[in-house]
Amino acid sequence: MFQSRTGKLKVMGVKILLDKAHVEGIRYFDVYRREGGYQAAEKALKEMSTDAIVEEVKKSGLRGRGGAGFPAGMKWSFIAKPEGVPRHLVCNADESEPGTFKDRYLMEFLPHLLIEGLLISSYALGSHDTYIYIRGEYAWIVDILEQAIEEAKANGFLGKNILGTGFDCNIYVHRGAGAYICGEETALIESLEGKRGNPRIKPPFPAIQGVWQRPTVVNNVETLAAVVPIIRMGGDEYAKIGVGRSTGTKLISACGNINKPGVYEIDMTISVEEFIYSDEYCGGIANGKRLKACIPGGSSVPILPANLLLRTAKGEPRLMNYEGLSDGGFATGSMLGSGGFIVLDEDQCIVKNTYTLARFYRHESCGQCSPCREGTGWMEKILKNIDTGNGKMSDIDLLWDIQRKIEGNTICPLGDAAAWPVAAAIRHFRDEFEWHVLNPEESQKRNYGLAHYADPIYVATP
Amino acid sequence: MSDSTLFKVTIDNITIEVPAGTTVLNAARKIGGEVAPPAMCYYSKLEGSGGKCRTCLVEVSKGSEKDPRPMPKLVASCRTTVMDGMEVKNITSEKVIDARNGVVEFLLINHPLDCPVCDQAGECHLQDLSYEHGKEGTRYEFQRRTFKKHDIGPYIQLHMTRCILCYRCVYTADQLTNKREHGILDRGDHAEIATFIEKSLDNDFIGNVIDVCPVGALTDKTFRFKNRVWFLKPMDAHRDCPTCSGKVTLWNRGDEVFRVTARKDQWGEVEDWICNTCRFEKKKTSDWVIEGPRMIDRHSVISQGHYAGNVGTTIPTETFEKVHNGRQPNLLMDIHDVSNVNKQHIRLSLLERPAHSTDFTPNQD
Amino acid sequence: MTEFNRLVSHYPEGKQKSALLPVLHLAQNSFGGWLSSDTMDYVASLLQIKPIEVYEVATFYSMYNLKPVGKYMFEVCQTGPCMISGCDDIIDYIGKTLGIKPGETTADGLFTLKTVECLGACGYAPMMQMGKTYREHLTKEKVDSIIAECRNNAAANN
Repeated sequence: MFQSRTGKLKVMGVKILLDKAHVEGIRYFDVYRREGGYQAAEKALKEMSTDAIVEEVKKSGLRGRGGAGFPAGMKWSFIAKPEGVPRHLVCNADESEPGTFKDRYLMEFLPHLLIEGLLISSYALGSHDTYIYIRGEYAWIVDILEQAIEEAKANGFLGKNILGTGFDCNIYVHRGAGAYICGEETALIESLEGKRGNPRIKPPFPAIQGVWQRPTVVNNVETLAAVVPIIRMGGDEYAKIGVGRSTGTKLISACGNINKPGVYEIDMTISVEEFIYSDEYCGGIANGKRLKACIPGGSSVPILPANLLLRTAKGEPRLMNYEGLSDGGFATGSMLGSGGFIVLDEDQCIVKNTYTLARFYRHESCGQCSPCREGTGWMEKILKNIDTGNGKMSDIDLLWDIQRKIEGNTICPLGDAAAWPVAAAIRHFRDEFEWHVLNPEESQKRNYGLAHYADPIYVATP
Repeated sequence: MSDSTLFKVTIDNITIEVPAGTTVLNAARKIGGEVAPPAMCYYSKLEGSGGKCRTCLVEVSKGSEKDPRPMPKLVASCRTTVMDGMEVKNITSEKVIDARNGVVEFLLINHPLDCPVCDQAGECHLQDLSYEHGKEGTRYEFQRRTFKKHDIGPYIQLHMTRCILCYRCVYTADQLTNKREHGILDRGDHAEIATFIEKSLDNDFIGNVIDVCPVGALTDKTFRFKNRVWFLKPMDAHRDCPTCSGKVTLWNRGDEVFRVTARKDQWGEVEDWICNTCRFEKKKTSDWVIEGPRMIDRHSVISQGHYAGNVGTTIPTETFEKVHNGRQPNLLMDIHDVSNVNKQHIRLSLLERPAHSTDFTPNQD
Repeated sequence: MTEFNRLVSHYPEGKQKSALLPVLHLAQNSFGGWLSSDTMDYVASLLQIKPIEVYEVATFYSMYNLKPVGKYMFEVCQTGPCMISGCDDIIDYIGKTLGIKPGETTADGLFTLKTVECLGACGYAPMMQMGKTYREHLTKEKVDSIIAECRNNAAANN
């Protein structure tokens, strides 16, 4: 069974983002600088051309850490450079995907790492006014960031003529006000312009017409912070960490029924089993319970039962990286997504969990396009019925049909994000849904339990 | 790229050439008929409109001559521009039919279906859409959404429960008036059109929101419950108006003017915006110079009362060509590709001999 | 007004509407924790935009209160990760202790209980937002002490 901890002695994983997170006072400029901070910025601004920086980021293989995993260097190379039109870099700190709280950790403990990454990236992209769009609820982090910006400015790393290079750059913090949808880059841009967070219809893409119709690059906090070690060690060295197209390190925010919830930096070479059970990371399932299911990359990615989580359909150990978690596609796999790792133990109810996620997506739909506006609410209502013992057998097929008609038919990915959790829950836990329908009273008193969800899957060998 | 560049685009197996920059929807409208996808939010006269309702989704089976890869998802045809050599499937795509079916269902689950008491009935795009692309019955078993009622003045009646949030009225107020006072409030499934604080919409051109509204959410208060549109006789008329073009359609019964609207084209779009005075204040036949009967689509319920002859009906004399503005009937589907009888790898027309039974798939029965 | 000018200065000339979200936060903090239509009209005049543009935005984002709220607002997260960590019990407990349901304010105007969706503290669940900060790893005992703390603060400020 999967209860055995790996137990074996292992070298600690490579850490390049959080390696200094526990240094006393690292939040402040002096300590950050003493620990080698802003050296990458000095190297970039003094010794490198903007093209060379973009080239290093391309070589590093860095993929967007916000969820979609799009190659960051490629995104940078798309930015239009029309004569006389300012360009902007916008940092997406609207971290709102349930299960995800890694950017918050980075900004709270290592604000200067982000500022340094923003400075290098702004220089590479030619952004003189750079914005951090932070979710409104992270109100106290606004103060931390603004203090860090002031410190950087006082020490000549922001403002006019930075390090005597002639490059000017200011960073501003723009506080959102409670809307998950603003994590979608075009909704974020609308919100930055002081409007409702309605995603724009693409094209035009932000790289051509972004904020105030100017070329804009929007990157996640972690992506921009990762630019610092990339410049420090070089893109090639960075790319040596990890495996395949999963290069570098990834922050994983682990939560749910585990012994040690928190933010971990992994080098994407470890297995999911090791991540959950080793003491270096989650430390196993809390209260001696057994693992039932997991949503490995933020609430919108497909939920997997224990057996498919730890091993792929081919029977191989599943790795904690982009390719490993998506092995098998949506039929038997999931996604690394934003790195929001939600663990459910044997006492958790998949129906209830799916219901709360459906409620979340209904609450966060902007209401602009019909399938998402109407479909998310409909799914929530049906799931509530099933959860409270008022469901019908036909509801399960209806749910499937609704999610199918939302997916891919909306303006922005929120439709997909709302559809996938429902689809995956039915795909892998259909018997639990049926049990709820067939046992309306019993389902209100006890949970379905682990059932067969951790049973090894036998793979037929050809 | 100069404006005169022509792109070849094939929609439902019909190829036409359109200027670069044309959207798939407008290219399809040039072909006309069923090939034109339905549009509930797009409005060619309102900048920025479209993309929201998702009824005009189409499948792009070939991106362009240069990059023939199909597009991974269905796209909103109103906001997708054609590329040279693009191939698009609208009603010939099962995926599109299925998705459109879903969109119609989504638009209807919270719609009150109060057509019997709705002034828009008979000229409602949602009715047409449901009739053409919807299914009978509903799978929605919950209470339909309701809103607090808002009074937006003496001219315009707002029924928020009927609204499909197409945003057309917001664009209209932004683009025709200098002071928009209504907008979309709240978000998600409670998003609504409102003024926030009770306010009358009284700009000179605000009445046009009635004409752009695809459903019965914004209707003419001065015409409220006065008559069914199909009992009225629409006539083109004009007057010398200092504010607008003065070109309108009068909706009469006998000599009595029941309402005044802008003239609408075959896609239901306003030809010329009209002012509030023309729309709400000029309700006497003597205010107007009558030009003659308004042409109404013969499929519309409104035309049912307007017989061509004096007694009963006359047999239509129009040919297909005439009805479709000179267009020949087109084959929307390549029957050969989908036939269960033909063998797809044998092109019957290319055989140099008579077709033989072995050229066909044997009878399965 | 200094803070208002600072916020507006972050954005390019003529793009002062961009400051709307931060300015609404400022207005909400300065005018009793909520946004009345007068407050919003005032913000519109400061930013030289139409009032409806402010209403549209204020009603879209969940953090703007369009009705008066209690002095202390308990916004308890109820999404997936918090749910599996037992937030339902915490919500019930707060409700029973204060004698209100989610969405209500106590008669003394001191407390408002609200359920909210994911606040990005999933690893420290159950949790709630109270003003500018988060209160995490909530237990019944912790809730009791937070309520006591608020009452003491309120009494001290009277």
